[in-house]
Amino acid sequence: MTVPVRRPARASAGAAVALLAALALFPVVGPAFAVYVLALILVTGLLALSLNLVLGYGGLYQFHHAVFYGVGAYTLAVAVTRGGWPAWLGFLAGPLAAALAGLLIGWFCVRLTRLYFGMLQISLGSLLWIVVLRWYPVTGGDNGIHDIPLPAVLQSVVGAYYLILAVVALSAGVLYLIVRSPFGITLQAIRDNAQRCQTVGVDVRAHQIGAIVIAAFFAGTAGVLYVALERSVFPNLLFWVLSLEIFVMCLLGGWFTFAGPMLGAALMVALRTVIGRYTDLWTMFVGIILILLIFFMPEGVAGTALARLRARGAGAGGRG
Amino acid sequence: MTTGARLLWALLAAVAVVTVGVAPASQSAPAPQLGRNIKVGVVDTYSGPPAVFGNDALNGFRLAVNEINREGVLGARIEFVTRDERFSPEIGLSVARELVLQERVDVLVGTINSATALAISAFARDQRLPFIVWISKSEAITGARGHRYVFSTGENTAMAGKALAEAMARRPYSRFWLAAEDYEYGHAITNSFWRFMKRIKPEVILQGQTWWRTGEPDLVPYLTAIASARPEAVFFGTGGAGMTNVLRAMKTTGFSDRIPSMIHTAIDHAVLRPLGAGAPEGVMGTIDYLFYHPDTPANRAFVQAFQTAYGGPPGFPAFHAYNTAYFIAQAYRKAGALDREKFIDALEGLRIDSPVGRIEMRACDHQVVLPLFLGVTRRSPRFPDFLVATDIQTIRGEDVMPTCDDIRRARGQ
Amino acid sequence: MDLSALASQLLVGLSRAMILFIVSAGLSFVLGVLRVPNVFHGSLYMIGAFVAFTIAAWAGEPALGLALAIAAAPLVVALVGLVVERTLLSHLYQREHLMLILFTFGVMLILNDVVKLVWGADYRSILPPAALQGMASAFGLALPRYNALLLGAGPVVAVAMWLFTHRTRVGTIARAAAVDREMVGVLGIDVSRVFALAFVVGCYLAGLGGALVAPTTSISLGMDHTIIIEAFLIVTIGGLGNIWGALVGSLLFGVTQSVGLLVWPQFAVVFPYLATVIVLLARPTGLLRSVW
Repeated sequence: MTVPVRRPARASAGAAVALLAALALFPVVGPAFAVYVLALILVTGLLALSLNLVLGYGGLYQFHHAVFYGVGAYTLAVAVTRGGWPAWLGFLAGPLAAALAGLLIGWFCVRLTRLYFGMLQISLGSLLWIVVLRWYPVTGGDNGIHDIPLPAVLQSVVGAYYLILAVVALSAGVLYLIVRSPFGITLQAIRDNAQRCQTVGVDVRAHQIGAIVIAAFFAGTAGVLYVALERSVFPNLLFWVLSLEIFVMCLLGGWFTFAGPMLGAALMVALRTVIGRYTDLWTMFVGIILILLIFFMPEGVAGTALARLRARGAGAGGRG
Repeated sequence: MTTGARLLWALLAAVAVVTVGVAPASQSAPAPQLGRNIKVGVVDTYSGPPAVFGNDALNGFRLAVNEINREGVLGARIEFVTRDERFSPEIGLSVARELVLQERVDVLVGTINSATALAISAFARDQRLPFIVWISKSEAITGARGHRYVFSTGENTAMAGKALAEAMARRPYSRFWLAAEDYEYGHAITNSFWRFMKRIKPEVILQGQTWWRTGEPDLVPYLTAIASARPEAVFFGTGGAGMTNVLRAMKTTGFSDRIPSMIHTAIDHAVLRPLGAGAPEGVMGTIDYLFYHPDTPANRAFVQAFQTAYGGPPGFPAFHAYNTAYFIAQAYRKAGALDREKFIDALEGLRIDSPVGRIEMRACDHQVVLPLFLGVTRRSPRFPDFLVATDIQTIRGEDVMPTCDDIRRARGQ
Repeated sequence: MDLSALASQLLVGLSRAMILFIVSAGLSFVLGVLRVPNVFHGSLYMIGAFVAFTIAAWAGEPALGLALAIAAAPLVVALVGLVVERTLLSHLYQREHLMLILFTFGVMLILNDVVKLVWGADYRSILPPAALQGMASAFGLALPRYNALLLGAGPVVAVAMWLFTHRTRVGTIARAAAVDREMVGVLGIDVSRVFALAFVVGCYLAGLGGALVAPTTSISLGMDHTIIIEAFLIVTIGGLGNIWGALVGSLLFGVTQSVGLLVWPQFAVVFPYLATVIVLLARPTGLLRSVW
């Protein structure tokens, strides 16, 4: 499970700029619903990217990542509707609250390894979920909170889309830099051999907690962006099923690549939109796709594509 | 080009695929007068536990649409597309958006899920698109959170709570226990009942309350705990699978033989039929539709048609959805055009002939005015396989609905 | 609050804990031997209840129907488990854990829709025979007869599991594999078959839990969601892979809820979760020694 660390090539930067430009121009030409779907993809994609920091790069069994997404979304929703805070303050508070939740949950979880880490996280996450589900006066219980008042510019899908695009692009950039930073490289070294890192004096737990906090922060960011798009929150945002779905996105796109999870999220959201039109058995389709992936494409779509490209690139003498 | 760059290009391609994948759907064939067919978008639960209600509603709607399309609506037909919200509001919102922005529906209808109904209601208001709620009983939909674009064609928790409170106030009980499933509907119906109970009979005492989690399989521990406290009467707030569970636990523990118990929709055959002989007798309940009552030609004809089409009697969701289709058809006939605002104006105050008689869409809050039936579960020679409601009393809708002034106050106007 | 009511309440809580124990013992056993948290364990429990319904409806006569259902439904579920294990899961043992977990999630997604296709969305219900309906009372304590039966079922399963893991060769090997699977491989034992057996036993227990709970509840889609999260919590507080831990965890769960109902009925739901967090804060690896 090694991710080759390369310096961002100029072509990559060029492609990123082209992609951004295409995304920025999209609402001008695309139908409204496609803009909405794209916004949903970006939000979900940021969530999957943030998971991959701990999962793919950190090698941690982050089984209940959706909790941080939900904490971010609920913090904004509760702050604005119950606390009467201005929206911008809520938008800041959401990711910070998620990071705090990450610190608390992470602090307990990193004392354990592998599966135990994951099981403890599911347990702690489920506690938060039941609190959200039970605390009617604040969270609205299973009903959630609707019709959250946000600035007028966000009332249109296009307005929300541009906010989401800007924040997701910025967050993805920051995550990319974190992965390439000394912190990120150490994190990957810990993933590959925690013992050796420990012996050379790396504080393994501190790095892992740090990664969880950062990932939680960006999951919380995705959460507030979800609210910007839908202006509603529901307990399902922190249900364990969603956590597993994000996992599937990372697998689908490929968790050994930086952008893979974003691709996985795009595929999942698009699949859901398309399959949902023809059948109400869409979960079965996802299940079948997931099992096929595990058997035939364990590195995900992006990972497999990259491997093919690399093989071909090597054959052609590398045009890169 | 590096592999990373290729990946980004792949993402770009994915964007293109999404664009193509969600390209606008084809328009329907033109029809005279209205210009084109009426397109209704149905968002409801077709998977998960409440699917039994979602399917029932869809059957009732389909039946009515087939009847209506035989003569047409001003030369047009009603078409509909359905989407499964899987009992989850975020999916509900997403598919509602698809139906409005992509399928370009004229009206949205649904859903059993109160959370989804409230979420779509806010979305419908922003889109200025009519949304008719046909199963969810949350009183907030046409009450505090109501607005010009949302309607309800079913009874709600405010009506049911008041109906049951009035029935209980006539009985000599004063020490009550409230027990409910810990979800939106459980809270709404229980709060409504207790609010009216205290208003009608201020001397009532709340001895205690119990909340159980949705999906709790065995409710015997809850009932034994309540029984040991010996309240004079118990109000239960639950529905669906929770209702089946509480009735079954009552039968097991003999609870309803010892303590008078009441539950809204306890007399629904969708819960009594699967229980068969396992359902307890003597439970008091309310509902706004029974397929065997009133025994009128209109109701018999509806039940007969439904039974022929789907092999079983209609439940209250089918009844609501059947009426919804007729409300939609009538409103467009009255409006004379496929115009959202004209449709809403036409629907306000509209009366139609339903299987239980004439019902009205009240103009001030967009809440349907229909009768409620109060009954007690008993064996009946007419239906040997399951319990039915007996001693049925009819409660007029206008007697238990909040007044238009109440509604205005609740909406802060 | 009189004492007999409290005692009755505790007994009812214990009978509820027995179902939790049977289901989470299966989850824990699979977790211990295969190191796979089986996410579709809850689906198997649901399938057990639905199959029990079908068998009971087919048999007609309530007593015979229930007996047949409880005997046969878990076997059907075990067969489902066996097919999944032999055709798919067994090819993945060399893979990373994450893949195994995601695989079980994929199976869960498929099974849930299969249940919907086979049984539809209607609520189903099994009527227990007359002898098991109503309340039984002894020593001034009242308890529903069926719950009394459940109280007996838990210890039977616990003893059976102990005999299986301590007194049978294959069970001993499975227990050894849970502790040190390399060692078992070195001894020349076909680990794959041990895994298959352990998996099938786990599935059987899920099906047994579903069949036993069926006469007390409405059998419907979605009954898997609650049980799986509770079973995960129980297995975690008990100690991963430790069957006795599953017993302790189930008792903690059932009893805190039952007592919670008496002392603070409004928030009884939260009590088991609260107990879980207290245990985990004090002992993050669970009350009993985890097998790994």
